[in-house]
Parts: sequence; structure tokens; C-alpha cells
Amino acid sequence: MGWNYSEKTKQLFMDAVQGKPGTHLGEIQDPDGIGEHGSIACGDAMRFTFRVRRDPVDPRRDVITEARYLTFGCTSAIASSEALCAILEEGTYTPIQALKIRNEDIVNFLEGLPAQKIHCSVMGAEALEAAVFNWAQKRGVPVAELGIEPSIHSEDEGRVVCKCFNATEPYLRRKVKELNLRTIPEITSALKAGGACMACHHAPGGLQDILDETWGRAGEGASREPGLLVARDAAPRPGEAELSPYQFSKKVERVVEEYVRPMLRRDGGDVEIVDIKDRLVYCQLRGACHGCAGATMTLKLMVERTLKEQVDDRIRVIEL
Amino acid sequence: MDTVYADNNATTAVAPEVVEAMMPFLTGEYFNPSSMYERARGTAQALAAARRAVARTLGTRDPEQIVFTGSATEANNHALLGALRANPGRRHVITSAVEHPSIHELAKDLQRQGVEVTFVPVDRQGRLDLRAFVRALRADTLLVSIMHANNETGVIFPVEQLARLTKETDPAILFHTDATQSVGKLPMDLDGALAHVDLLSFSGHKLHAPKGVGVLFLRRGARVRPLILGGHQEAGRRAGTENVPCIAGLARACELAREHLDEEEHRVRALRDRLEEGLVAAIPHVEVNGRGAARLPNTLNVAVHYIEGEGMLYQLDAHGICASSGSACTSGSLEPSHVLRAMGVPFTAVHGSIRFSLSRYNRDADVDRILAVFPGIVASLRRLSPYWDKDADRPRADAPAAGSAP
Repeated sequence: MGWNYSEKTKQLFMDAVQGKPGTHLGEIQDPDGIGEHGSIACGDAMRFTFRVRRDPVDPRRDVITEARYLTFGCTSAIASSEALCAILEEGTYTPIQALKIRNEDIVNFLEGLPAQKIHCSVMGAEALEAAVFNWAQKRGVPVAELGIEPSIHSEDEGRVVCKCFNATEPYLRRKVKELNLRTIPEITSALKAGGACMACHHAPGGLQDILDETWGRAGEGASREPGLLVARDAAPRPGEAELSPYQFSKKVERVVEEYVRPMLRRDGGDVEIVDIKDRLVYCQLRGACHGCAGATMTLKLMVERTLKEQVDDRIRVIEL
Repeated sequence: MDTVYADNNATTAVAPEVVEAMMPFLTGEYFNPSSMYERARGTAQALAAARRAVARTLGTRDPEQIVFTGSATEANNHALLGALRANPGRRHVITSAVEHPSIHELAKDLQRQGVEVTFVPVDRQGRLDLRAFVRALRADTLLVSIMHANNETGVIFPVEQLARLTKETDPAILFHTDATQSVGKLPMDLDGALAHVDLLSFSGHKLHAPKGVGVLFLRRGARVRPLILGGHQEAGRRAGTENVPCIAGLARACELAREHLDEEEHRVRALRDRLEEGLVAAIPHVEVNGRGAARLPNTLNVAVHYIEGEGMLYQLDAHGICASSGSACTSGSLEPSHVLRAMGVPFTAVHGSIRFSLSRYNRDADVDRILAVFPGIVASLRRLSPYWDKDADRPRADAPAAGSAP
């Protein structure tokens, strides 16, 4: 494993823990904005405070002059906090403009972060958002003007299941139910979780376990993912009764004998039916066709089309 | 007297380059690769580099699909048990009748636990019965496990075709192959020809790496749970502090195997063929097991009728020649080889089967030594055999016919 931090990240961290001048560790007394994000349970928590130069007429024109943080977390969490404060103090941001600072800006300031540490930069941006929200309430700026949703400040906290996308167990459990997600691909497409390293799919306490615990084991395996042997759109053609398996295979054999085999024999080839399972017909080419580069295509196009036309359009031919 | 080592399907000599690659991690670089300090970076990087080297040898661009294990046996257990645990709705497993015990015995134990297992038979040459294989595929089939090449006879199974047929039938069926005997002897292309294979196992000590390290290739997204829990190592798929020295050795061995693939295919095959032709020409009433099938270039399994394998091994040993036998007396159990019995090798010959398996370290002189002594060993034992007419040098008239089924 080891540290894959950029030099910038390492330096910001070391400067901060040594309390060098120009670092931002601390808490502003009577701040104009205060916001918190994360919790000790997550392993990362941040308290962010800022002071503004108040505009005497329009609070929207307040400018952030000072920013401080207290952060419980790893090297990158502390460096991200430093980065956020430095970005704010180096620029001239109104609190509303500060909302435009995204976690990408923090990552860029740090000259990159390892993928599994990206959530640290998210934390900084979230704490900032909460602090601006607090400032707006104090200064009488309508929250609607901020363009942020208060609800996102109550992210589900708990054990991280998908480390790549920082999806926690409570969050996944809630979303699986809310969105009626039944399979891992459904989770991934709806929430991104499980979409990168995939290690959480079948790990103990992983995505499949959450699905099983939510929906029960009954929804699993053969019953939920029927093999192709089980015809999914099992409807006979209009006006025809469904053939029994015996009648079906007899009909396939008759069609092969009457239509397919004579055509193949004209080219010196032959076909043998090895097995029939549901609507899957397993064939082996013999004679001149065998080993021919076009054999598969020949078989697919000709045999399958003939069988679909004459017997059942759900038939699929598999060549040995 | 120099040793003639002709038992490379059992284990192999550790390559000097492999020892060299391991040494740093047995001395100064002892750090846990999960540790955070700077000094542990070397072990973590060695682990990552090893994963890339193994991935290249297996023909996949994605090293995260490589899981290091303690052995191929562990990897095989991981594949089968992990698949069952992840897919409890399916209870049918297909395997061949001639798998290594780490699949064969496990499959028989799964039967005792209520899993249905189909053992697909082989023919007299050791080739898989393709029709029986196709007929075995079912709607509730969970997993297919067919070895890439057989350890006793060297017969190669058409894994590409079997995996394709499996996935064309139902993509949800997992396809596993035990490639312990083929990695390093046959080209591997898991991103290409073997793209339908979900799981593949092999071990280091069959390709000149040390014992105690194996690999499970676990394709991304395959529904398989871990077997060994209790740590984040191998992305949570196999807990336990990584065996860095052996993994570094395995990686070097994989690179060497890739470099020597051509030599294996030509020079080692030529050695094997010369040994085979020499023995068949010099000894009456022998047959080559699996001769009619595609075989590994290094393996020769000869059935010597009317004598018992252990006596041959014992005398070969006295000449400094290491080989092995499918005979009951040498296997540690009282059963003769299930592989040869599944092939229908007559019982007059099952007990007299000898396996010579070569490697790139064998030389012409090794083959010469075996050819010089083995016919004499066979003759000496046949003189003692109740089924052999020593005066006429042929089977006695009342001996069971060599071609009769067991």
C-alpha cells in the first residue's frame, strides 16, 4: 500500500501538524460561518469556520478574509482542509462564490490525490457548503439564493461498502429499497457503487449481501437469473399449441433431415444434432463443412434460419 | 551419480533467477506490504509488479484479476466453494472424470453435501466426451470445472471450446479451469482465446518457482465469494499477509516461462518424443497413454503390461532417475490412478504405468540414461511376474489379455 501522496500534499500536512506560519489549523471565535461534515464513526470529520469582511449594504457582497479548520482524519483529509482554506484566503470570494469551489479544485491544489482518498476532498467542499448555509442564515440571505439543497447535509454515515465511490452501508440499504434495486448491475448504474474495482460485489457484507438481506435469498440464483435454457418469452406462435419437448425435438430432427441436410450434402458436408435443450439446438458439422472458416456462419445463417422458420423462432443454434 | 529429474509434473527445481528475485525479500525487504511507512514501499511495489507479470503470462491486461493464494489446491477450493456460496440458487456442478484430486475429491465431497455433480467421461485416449459434456449442461448448472491439461497423461482439453459452449448455453454459468500443468507449457490468452474462462488456477512450483504460492485468476464481476476471510489483502478476496518472497519468485518464474515457451514446445517436445519412441521400440507390450490425443510437450505416460509400477520406480531410483507411477502402491492410497481407470486402461497395465515428465532443465543425456536402463528394469521385473513367460519373453498364454477392460 504505502503513501502515494503528491509532494504538495505531504508538505501541506507536515506544515499543518508543525503549526508553521500561514497554516490554517484552528477555530475562529464567533465566526460568520460554521459548518461541519463527517463524523468520528466515518474516520473523517471536519469543523470549518470563516470570517468575512461585512459589506455594510448588501450581505451578498461579504468577502471571506479568514478560514480555519479542525480536522480529524488522515493525511489527505488534513491536507485537503489546508488546501480549502488556502484557496479561500488567496482569492477574494464571497460566500456564495465560494460555493463554486468543488472537490476537483481541492484535488488540483493538492496536485492530485490517490483514488481511494478522493472522499477526503469531498469532505472539505461539503463542510464549506454547510458553513455558507450557516452564514446565509446569520446574515439573512435567502437560502434559496444559494442554490444548495439542505438535504444533502444529512449523508448517511456508517461502514463504507464501496470504497471506490465511498458508498456506505446505511446509504446503500436506503437506496436499494427506495429505488427497488434488485441486482448488482442495477446498483452500479443507479449509484455508481461497485462500478470500479468490483471487490465489494461478493465480499462478506458486500453488495450481494445487502441485496440478499433486503430482498431475501429467494430472489437469488437460478430463480432470478434463469439460464437461457428456460425460455423467457415462452409463448407459442399464434394459433399453435406449445410442443412437448419430445414433439419439439422430433420436429427439429425432421426439419434437419428434410431441409438442412440435403442442402449441406450438396457441398459435401453434413450436420449432426448433438443435443436439444429447450430451444437451444447443439450441432456438429461433418465432412467438407468441418473446419471450414465459413462453417460457423453457414450453420448459423442457414440452419438457424431454417429451424426458426419451420419450427420455432425462439431457436438458437450452438455449434460444437 | 547425477540425478536425472523426470518428475516435473510433481514439482520442479527452483530456477536460479527465481532464487535471486526472492532474496531481497528474505533479507532486508521484510516489510509488510500493507504498512504505511516509506520503507515498506519496496514490498508493496514488488507485489504490484508481480501481479502485472503474472497477468502478462496469463494474457490479460488487467492485473487486478490476479489473486495470490497459497497453492493451486487452495485456488481450486476457492473457485468451487466460493462460487457455491455466492450462488446458492444453483446446485449442479460439471467436471471431468480425470481431474486432479483438489477438484475430484472436492467434487465428491460436494456430492455428499447435496450438490449434484456430473463427471464427464473420457475416451480410451483420455479425450473428453464432448457430447456428454454438452448434454450435462443444465438450467441450474452453477459451475463447470475442466482442467486445461491432465497431470498424469498430459492430455490437453479444449478449454476454449468448452468455455464457449458453456457461455453460449448460459452466460451465468461460471467456467473454471485448473491450469496447473499448462501455465508455462502452453500459451495463455485470457483476454483472447480464453475470454470465456471466468476462473483459472495454477501454482508456482510447477514452473520453477517455490512451493507455497499459487494463483487464482478471478475475472472481474464473477460471482465468487472469498474462501479465507479476515483481512483486506488481495482486495478482500484472499485474506492473510502476502507471501512476498514467493510471490516475487513466482513472478520471475512466469517471465522465464514466457521466454522459454518456444523451447518447451520444440526442444523439450523433441526430448519427450525421443524418449517415447525409444521406449516403445525397446520394450514389448507397452503402450503410451493418451498417445492419440493432443498432449503437453513434456509428459510421457507409458503403461507397461504385467508388472507393477513401484518396482520400476524403485529400480529407476537406484539409477538416480526420478519418475512417478499411477500404481496404487505409490499413491499413498490403495486405489490405482482414477485417471487411467477412467480412460479404460486395462488393469494389466494401470498398475504398471510410469510417468516421465521433463522440463527445460533436461538434456539429451537424461533421455539417454533412461533409455539405457529402463528396458532392463522392465525385463528384470517381468522375469518375476506370474503373467510372463520368461523363456519365450512374452505374456503367458493364461495371462489376462492386455486389451481386456478393468
